[in-house]
Amino acid sequence: MTKLELKEISMKYERKYILEDLILEVNHGELLVLLGESGCGKTSLLKIIAGIIKPEKGDILMDGENITHLAPQKRKIGYVPQAQVLFPHMKIRENISFGLEAHRFDKQEIEDKIKWVAELTQIEDLLDRYPSEISGGQKQRVALGRAMAIEPRLLLLDEPLSSIDASGRESLALTIRRIQKETETTTLYVTHNQEEARLICDRVALMYDGKIQQIGKVIEIDKNPLNLIIAKIMGSVNIWSIEFIEKKDKHSIITTPIGSFQLPYEIIKHKPTGIKIPAEVIELSFDIGSTDHRSDTSNFILNGKIKSIVEKDEETHRIIIDLSETVSEYIKVDCKKELIKKELKPNQEVILHIDPLEVILI
Amino acid sequence: MSRTVRKETNIEEIANKFIIILAIIALGSFLLSLFYVPLIQILRFAFSSESKFTFAIFSSTITDTLNLKFIGFTFAQALLSTVICLFIGLPAGFFFAKYEFKGKKLVLNLLTIPFVLPPIVVLLGFIVSYGEGGWINSIWKGMTGTDNVLISIFGTFEGIVLAHIFYNLSVIIRMTIPAWQSLDLEQVEVSRTLGASEWKIFWKIIFPQIVNYLISSALLVFIYTFNSFAIVLYLGEVRFQTLEVRIFKMMKASLNFSGGASLAFLQLILNTIIIILYLLFERKTRQMAIGKERGLQKEKISFSRYNWKKNLSIIGLILFMLIIGVFTFAPILAVIIVSFTPFSSEVSPFFGYMQLFSFEYSPLLNNSPLRLLLNTLLFAFAATLITLTLSLMIVFVLKNRYQSLKKYQRSISESFISYMIILPMATSSITLALGLFLLFNNTSLYLNAVWFFIIMAHVLISVPFATRSIMAAYNRIDVELLNVASTLGASRLRVFRKIELPLILRGIIVGGIFSFAISLGEFGATNFLVRGAYGTLSIGISKLLLTQTLQLPATMASILIIVTIICFLAIQKLGDVELKV
Repeated sequence: MTKLELKEISMKYERKYILEDLILEVNHGELLVLLGESGCGKTSLLKIIAGIIKPEKGDILMDGENITHLAPQKRKIGYVPQAQVLFPHMKIRENISFGLEAHRFDKQEIEDKIKWVAELTQIEDLLDRYPSEISGGQKQRVALGRAMAIEPRLLLLDEPLSSIDASGRESLALTIRRIQKETETTTLYVTHNQEEARLICDRVALMYDGKIQQIGKVIEIDKNPLNLIIAKIMGSVNIWSIEFIEKKDKHSIITTPIGSFQLPYEIIKHKPTGIKIPAEVIELSFDIGSTDHRSDTSNFILNGKIKSIVEKDEETHRIIIDLSETVSEYIKVDCKKELIKKELKPNQEVILHIDPLEVILI
Repeated sequence: MSRTVRKETNIEEIANKFIIILAIIALGSFLLSLFYVPLIQILRFAFSSESKFTFAIFSSTITDTLNLKFIGFTFAQALLSTVICLFIGLPAGFFFAKYEFKGKKLVLNLLTIPFVLPPIVVLLGFIVSYGEGGWINSIWKGMTGTDNVLISIFGTFEGIVLAHIFYNLSVIIRMTIPAWQSLDLEQVEVSRTLGASEWKIFWKIIFPQIVNYLISSALLVFIYTFNSFAIVLYLGEVRFQTLEVRIFKMMKASLNFSGGASLAFLQLILNTIIIILYLLFERKTRQMAIGKERGLQKEKISFSRYNWKKNLSIIGLILFMLIIGVFTFAPILAVIIVSFTPFSSEVSPFFGYMQLFSFEYSPLLNNSPLRLLLNTLLFAFAATLITLTLSLMIVFVLKNRYQSLKKYQRSISESFISYMIILPMATSSITLALGLFLLFNNTSLYLNAVWFFIIMAHVLISVPFATRSIMAAYNRIDVELLNVASTLGASRLRVFRKIELPLILRGIIVGGIFSFAISLGEFGATNFLVRGAYGTLSIGISKLLLTQTLQLPATMASILIIVTIICFLAIQKLGDVELKV
């Protein structure tokens, strides 16, 4: 079990900083997912940790030992790149033993390790095949096994599920999780897909603009995203930026692309960047002429037209509604099936009611 | 801790840097002493008189009426040969891309053989099959009962063009096969549903997809025919000379060194332009090939009972291919048959092969035929070894991972090397030899060990081929493989030995065989430089070419044919042949 610390790592690519004073800690035996959009520098960061590229500035510490200037050969870090790169001219067995031979293990030890790794990654049947003869998911298992064979102090995984078809994904994700737990290997797992992060991680670190912006458990970040960008990366629905905040005594008026809202409280915390309206708190009414809701001044009222209706789960419909007062904004509403008494049709006009106390400030 | 760690990394990096610097020095001094300084010597002869700069020699040489005529001829024959090759080669390429049949690969390889044969062998084959007393004309005379010949190849424009088509046709065929294969048929199908006519589909959809392949293959044939030497030297007689032949004759017959150097300089400029154009279009074809998955659907040759139009077109294509086959193969076969045909009633069919061991022809050949064979093989082995060493160095200087990872940019020395090797590519073999000759002809090394310069000329000619072959193999290696290998604990040396070397081995072998075959049949430079007993089989054949007894030269040519075919088949076994510079 190793603790990894990154201190003020900076890295330039074509005169632009892709990593800037980045700080990150990965705890003993933890699986940390590094989540960020494509091109945000995640892969470069992994390569810097693996020693394949050198940072312009900053230090990498493993259990307090500074390894920044150590050659990749000496770091004992397992690196599994995004493309499944197995040595094409070697059998699976030889692929796995490559690192062991480089570390000068003796023959018997190598045999034992191959056996152990093959069991661990469930590739016992593939050992005598060539990489060209196995599937994408199997290749990824071999790549993982090859990295694990040297019993790395740290495991780096670069989008390991990205090139695997949907059916193999979950099983591979679970395998990774199991191996990581069994061997208690500190792991940094890079992805742009928040669903993968939800599936696998202990903690998640969100990265953009060359920095780690927020780190914590998925539930915590879901509940309390630091800002709008993080909410977006986490895949939140119904989020909008705040364009303007007007403070009046005991309440505040916020302006967003979908309209202005009056909140029955004063915003005291630091300046929020956006709002989130959970899809399940929105109520719909279909009687356009009826006036009883109009008098209900405590709720926000929005007009819209149904765009499409999809089944979310057995009890819920998800209704996507174009907002009439805006150019291209739409909102997602989760509605219990039992509450929908009339048949819903696309282009049908609806009224949305939102309780201001349910609106989350980001 | 941190300090000792820093030291360890540095040792490997310093070692790596040291090796790279050594390679750059070795390459630099090779290119400087055997290419660039000789080149400067050519410039000196072209642009200085009594050690003063003058433009007069150059301008008077290239405005000389006779020279202008030959420059015009060089362009005209190259253009005509290229266009005709395109017209014949394009449908043939389509045939190979579209139809599957037994022995397809073999047929394609057989068609390629003329291209890989030594020029002097091709010339001999052409003479014995199409010459005045050759097969075709003998058959024609028999058929018509007259003494008129059907085709005359000596001293005629059409003879030269015909020989060039014979020599280069396979370049077009081979290079347009991928064009047809990568044709995106979905686009064609979509256009049909949109109501486009077949003619419009061809011009708007198909042609843009193949045009880059057409241009790059045409440019390649143009380069080869533009720099043609042996064929024009013998078939052109005095009337027709390419620049290459003209330079040779100026140097050797009229001893006009300044004139020869001027023309060589002009030719170098023209060649450089064409080569750069070629490299440009060749890169475009590679970019186009990326990301195409569904190409032309292959079909078995079959006849349909109902579609007579289709049957007719297939029969037409097959006939067309048969004619190409006969045209291509007759001369090669003719050479082998002539080698067993006694030139008079007094000698045996094996006269040529027995003569290998005799000294009867020594006064003419300066040596026994066997020694010529030995020279040929020795030169080829030596040239191959040196070529491979240099090519590997070039690849490792240009593909140095440590550098590229840190800077994402080539260092100046690397870019410099990459430009330095383009020029030798654009330099004709006569110019290479001319430079060496002008610089070294008075040295004792040249007088006593001309074999050294012959080998070096061969090396200069084959390095671009071998480098491209190795580079192509190296470019296919995924850098991440090397990254993973080092994170797994493998040292730089181990990564090279276990990963890089096995993955580029084929490229090295193919490059090696290629340079062996090039050296084996090289004629232009060897013929220019050769002195005394250091001739090769090609030189021997050329000396006997215009004698009455073709049996001995045919025997020597047969040996070259067999060795070349073996080399070629070996390359085929190992990987795709690239007939590219």
